[in-house]
Amino acid sequence: MGDYLLLIVSAILVSNIVLARYLGNCPFLGVSQKMDTAVGMGMAVIFVVTLAGMITWVVQYAILNPLGLEYLRTIAFILVIASLVQLVEMFLQKSVPALYKALGIFLPLITTNCAVLGIAIINIQEEFNFMQTVVFSFASAVGFSLAMVLLASLRERFPTARIPSAFAGMPIAMITVGLLALAFLGFTGLTG
Amino acid sequence: MRDLIKMVVVLLVICTTSGVVLSYVNEATKAPREYQYIKFVQEPSIKAVLSDYDNDPVKERIKLAVGEDEEGNPIEIVVFPAKKGGATQAIAYSAAAKGYHDLIEVMVGVGPEGKLTGISIMTHTETPGLGARIVEPEFTDQFAGLDLDTTKLSAEGGKVDTLSGATFSTVGVITAVGAALEQFPQIKKETF
Amino acid sequence: MSVVKEFTKGFWQELPPFRLVLGLCPTLAVTTMAENGLGMGLATTFVLVFSNLLVSILRKLIPGKVRIASYIVVIASFVVMAELLLQAYWYPMYKALGIFVPLIVVNCIILGRAEAFASKNPIILSLADGLGIGLGFTISLTVLGGIREILGSGKLFGAEVMWSSFEPLGFMVKAPGAFVCLGFLLGLMNIISRRRPAH
Repeated sequence: MGDYLLLIVSAILVSNIVLARYLGNCPFLGVSQKMDTAVGMGMAVIFVVTLAGMITWVVQYAILNPLGLEYLRTIAFILVIASLVQLVEMFLQKSVPALYKALGIFLPLITTNCAVLGIAIINIQEEFNFMQTVVFSFASAVGFSLAMVLLASLRERFPTARIPSAFAGMPIAMITVGLLALAFLGFTGLTG
Repeated sequence: MRDLIKMVVVLLVICTTSGVVLSYVNEATKAPREYQYIKFVQEPSIKAVLSDYDNDPVKERIKLAVGEDEEGNPIEIVVFPAKKGGATQAIAYSAAAKGYHDLIEVMVGVGPEGKLTGISIMTHTETPGLGARIVEPEFTDQFAGLDLDTTKLSAEGGKVDTLSGATFSTVGVITAVGAALEQFPQIKKETF
Repeated sequence: MSVVKEFTKGFWQELPPFRLVLGLCPTLAVTTMAENGLGMGLATTFVLVFSNLLVSILRKLIPGKVRIASYIVVIASFVVMAELLLQAYWYPMYKALGIFVPLIVVNCIILGRAEAFASKNPIILSLADGLGIGLGFTISLTVLGGIREILGSGKLFGAEVMWSSFEPLGFMVKAPGAFVCLGFLLGLMNIISRRRPAH
């Protein structure tokens, strides 16, 4: 149990998926201008990453390894993720329209969110077992959402700040993320 | 309906072509990939454990079958011979055992009498500052000249001092080296 | 003329990742050293050129509804090829880039070019577009890597370039340095492009 706690703390704070592992930056910077879109994207990512982590783990150990096709991992995983996103979208549209309304517009963006594929590959590279995969995928996605919500709350204040015009928009957002990452660097060593 | 068939056919053709081409590339790059792995991961360790030779141990490597695993598949090890004037002086090969976290892979060099000419740690994931000190010369140098009987902890009548605070890592290295030395009589017949 | 235009736009008007803010993850992650930036840039260019080529060849055969899926398969195939080739002929770079080699597949620049350009343009133009954007990306990554390497470890391509008492800013080769450095470069590009009238 303690091991899982350590894995969670490490995935959310110490090796935060965006701020320390450099994954998922495009949606992170793209949709963090407003708090409500940031929250929506965060929820969609948590949902898809956890599911994708579980399915790709099974694909790796039940299909690719026994057949000696490890070299096709990249192509297999991206296809799994793309079809999963498509299926989730169709399922939500039909059965949970309310949730679809909230998350729907974010789902197509998730296929090319490298955090999803990245986490799936890390699960295999670290040789996690199935339980660790579930916990790590979920916690990493929570870390992603946390970073995104933090950034959104900072960016919502930009209109009231006097930013040099050349730095308005992306440049200042990037520098803000840098400072956020610096703060997260303070968690180094937390998990020994 | 015709559209649907066309879609399925196009996707199938693309996937099949991709699979065929990739399996060809996979086969074609197998030999250079193996060579690069040996050159960059194993060669530094091979050089560290062998001395005084005039051949290229990597080029003259031999594959030997030593026993079978539980499923009856042959266990193969790769032996790198160090020769001088055509006569084998010593051989290098690798073995692995579990340390504190995960497998520790060790390259051992063995002389004709079954005495170690040196050991070198190739891969490990031990804790930095504690178990990771197994790669330091102060630790690895004490293995030179030992044989199967003396490759034990000093406390158990052997000649290896435990790294303070890293008993599991020390024992992991000793287990790996011991396993390598146990295979030596069998390998000796084929090499010297 | 238009071939030249499609080729050169990647070096300024649509220079990724500065003017075309896409493909940020590899940009930030591997640019701790100029050499790694160069390696990542070249691997991406390889995938981009060939996927543009194939998408352009197949553009009339692929039905609209499955085009994205088809592009992803094409791109992923070239990424796997790049992985295998790097392992076979440039192993240290394969190790240095690590997880970001397979992640080329989700580099938005590549899918973006396939969808926005190669699927609508003839083969020669698509090749020029892929090569231009790819090399622009390579140059950006190498420059960013060079800046971070010089400030963060006092070296460039592994050779010492700073005076001997220079104290490296270790912060530059870590994640925060990556973001701040890229932020400043983006700001700088904005200032320069304002002085230069748009075409």
